[in-house]
Amino acid sequence: MVKHLFKLIWNKRRHNFLFLSEILVSFLVIFAVFSFLVYYYMNYRKPMGLAYDRVWSVNYNSNQQSKNMDSLVIFYEDLQKALKSMPMVEAVSYTSNNFPYSSGIMTTGLSPAGKKVYNVNNYMVGDDYNKVWKMTLLEGRWFNPEDKVARNKAIIINESLRKEIFGKAPAIGKSVGDYEDKGKLKIIGVVQDFKANGDFWPAGYALFSPLDSGYLKHTNVLLVKVRPEADAGFESSLYKFMASRLKNSSIEIQHLSEMRDAKNEQTIIPMLIFMIIASFLIINVALGLFGVLWYNINQRRGEIGLRRALGASGNSVSGQLISESLILATMSLAVGCFFALQFPIMNVFNVPSIVYVIAIFLSIAFIYVLVFVCALYPGKQAAAIHPAVALHEE
Amino acid sequence: MLRNYFKIAIAVLKRRKFFTFISLFGISFTLTILMVGTAFLDKVISPDYPDYKRERSLYVGSMELQNSKEGWLNRSNVSFYFFDHYVSRLKSVEKIGISSYSKASNAYINKKKIVINYKYTNADYWRVLEYRFLEGKPYAEQQILHAERVAVISKAIKKAYFGDVSSVVGQYISADEVNYRVIGVVDNVAKTMRNFAGDMFLPYTVSKENYKKPDLMGSYSAVLLARSKADVPKMKLEFDQMMKKVPIGNKEFDRLYCNADYFFASITRGITGDGKDSGITKAVSVLVALVILFLLLPTINLVNINITRIMERSSEIGVRKAFGASSRTLVYQFIVENMILTFLGGLLGLLFSALMIYFFNSWNLMDGVRLSLNFSVLMYSFLACVFFGLISGVYPAWRMSRLNVVKALKAQ
Repeated sequence: MVKHLFKLIWNKRRHNFLFLSEILVSFLVIFAVFSFLVYYYMNYRKPMGLAYDRVWSVNYNSNQQSKNMDSLVIFYEDLQKALKSMPMVEAVSYTSNNFPYSSGIMTTGLSPAGKKVYNVNNYMVGDDYNKVWKMTLLEGRWFNPEDKVARNKAIIINESLRKEIFGKAPAIGKSVGDYEDKGKLKIIGVVQDFKANGDFWPAGYALFSPLDSGYLKHTNVLLVKVRPEADAGFESSLYKFMASRLKNSSIEIQHLSEMRDAKNEQTIIPMLIFMIIASFLIINVALGLFGVLWYNINQRRGEIGLRRALGASGNSVSGQLISESLILATMSLAVGCFFALQFPIMNVFNVPSIVYVIAIFLSIAFIYVLVFVCALYPGKQAAAIHPAVALHEE
Repeated sequence: MLRNYFKIAIAVLKRRKFFTFISLFGISFTLTILMVGTAFLDKVISPDYPDYKRERSLYVGSMELQNSKEGWLNRSNVSFYFFDHYVSRLKSVEKIGISSYSKASNAYINKKKIVINYKYTNADYWRVLEYRFLEGKPYAEQQILHAERVAVISKAIKKAYFGDVSSVVGQYISADEVNYRVIGVVDNVAKTMRNFAGDMFLPYTVSKENYKKPDLMGSYSAVLLARSKADVPKMKLEFDQMMKKVPIGNKEFDRLYCNADYFFASITRGITGDGKDSGITKAVSVLVALVILFLLLPTINLVNINITRIMERSSEIGVRKAFGASSRTLVYQFIVENMILTFLGGLLGLLFSALMIYFFNSWNLMDGVRLSLNFSVLMYSFLACVFFGLISGVYPAWRMSRLNVVKALKAQ
């Protein structure tokens, strides 16, 4: 049966060429949409790894005039203590500019024995950073004051980086080479992955190192975790306090929950526009397919009439037409899959292969449903053809 | 002859309403998207409030230091010193409008937080760029010289900070615990005008940074205004020659790039270019590729439908051929017919885009961005129509012209 249908299609291959290419292009568009959606959804389902609510970032431009290193350190330590003693404040920490949901990026590489790991997010963090974000420690411990004077710099890494470097082997206490493989970094803890780029992006590799006093003069962000009672009144007094302490600086307070929304919007809005355009394209294609199938069936009234006259049931006639369309679709999909499979094989954009594979299956299902729906009505019409009328026309 | 074609085209359109609907739907939707996209692009590219003198202007926004051996790169905005010390001495530069990138600060009014984006500018900034002053006036050289704490604010921040009052000139606005006297209010600037949008403008002399520091990198950008449009290439040349003489002043780097760009290049350089390459070719080719990809599906669809419709008319074509019409005439006729269809779709598309733009503007989807269908957008849309009509008409017309007369007539 299928062989026979295939022969019918093959005889009209030139005629069907455009139909095939239309399905092929639609498949590729749908594949792109589904790849994005699957990728975002898989990331969305992973745990956040941090608590962003009631966290505020305080930006200040650190052009403190003091040249003296010691007085600078004392100044910043005092500032932190003063903030921490405020009744509305739960935790305070200095951070480098690349804190979660900010637009700052700071990456480095690591050289564990014999290989290189690139694109490791390098977070310079103050003492209470983990308390501000409520980070989950999976192994080892958080920094303590002795780490700052240790010979080998202590670092904490995240789950993904641990998996990349050590696999299942133990990680705590191991040392890895830094970017240029000159210094050694000692791993003292592993934290749960956190999605610093919004809900729809992976955590990536991350390492945390203590923000030492030498880096203080490059620091210009403070993170503050406030109590639930903290309101705009407190924010205004915090602002005044900071402005009075840091005389030559401009201060901006941002809420991390808003920064997260903004970060997510950067993903959602382009995706929405893409989906709207794609769905219009698909409606367009569906109408086109519908029209062409309908027309083709009208052209074949004689053939259909003959089959009916020889005793084929209405169902088998419409079944034949629908399966013909589905076989046509299969031919396009085979070519489309060939292109789509290149993505997981070549590991394009560093996205896990499973994303592409799921997207391919979803797109195939989508195209079949689309073609089936478009062929349904024309097929029904064909089934309704009365043999006497159809053959009379010839 | 054209009138005849027109009549035939309309008659054909009326014959199969469903197909006509599909074709028109596809065409009008595709063109709507293209038109709205063009309106966006037009908004970004063509001169807009407050930057009206783009024909006479060059834009300097980034300074790039490179270490060509190690491949290091350091890029940032430009220092005030660079503009003041080097650029302002160029002979072909009539005026130079300097401003810092905007920084945010907060103000708390009645327990409500207001975010104020402020910029430092020089006095000529107000002459190079034509902000609409709703009240008051800009600050002048004298006030800058004395580092007076005066501010020009935007209409939006006036409303947010002072409420619905008629005049605020002479009142004080506080940011970072410093009070500034308001001396002017300007109309809001759309966010798409990245370099010129801001809520508060202050004299650069009140800036807390040391603007005299002899560095090349800083936080400023500038618009260089030539005396006339014809002088702009000369100004660009002079700028490039000056750049050759600017000392790098940093032993870690051996290359220095800073460019005075035409407006379009100043945008593409930031997206697809770098210090050496303005990135125009790359940006334009990416854009063209995207448009072609987007057009592919509707075009194939339209071609498909067109072929179906032609086959329906095989008897008409057979008769015409039998009576001696050449293939060329038939191709010509069909392309004209397809053009008529496309332009009908284009008109519908225009209607839809007008609606979409109306909703976009009235819902204020992007802060302060007002799209419009102006002459250039219409021109581009017309071009898009012609292009679309041609590519979707040529293949079916060719197929049609090759129909065999005998077969075509026998088919009925």
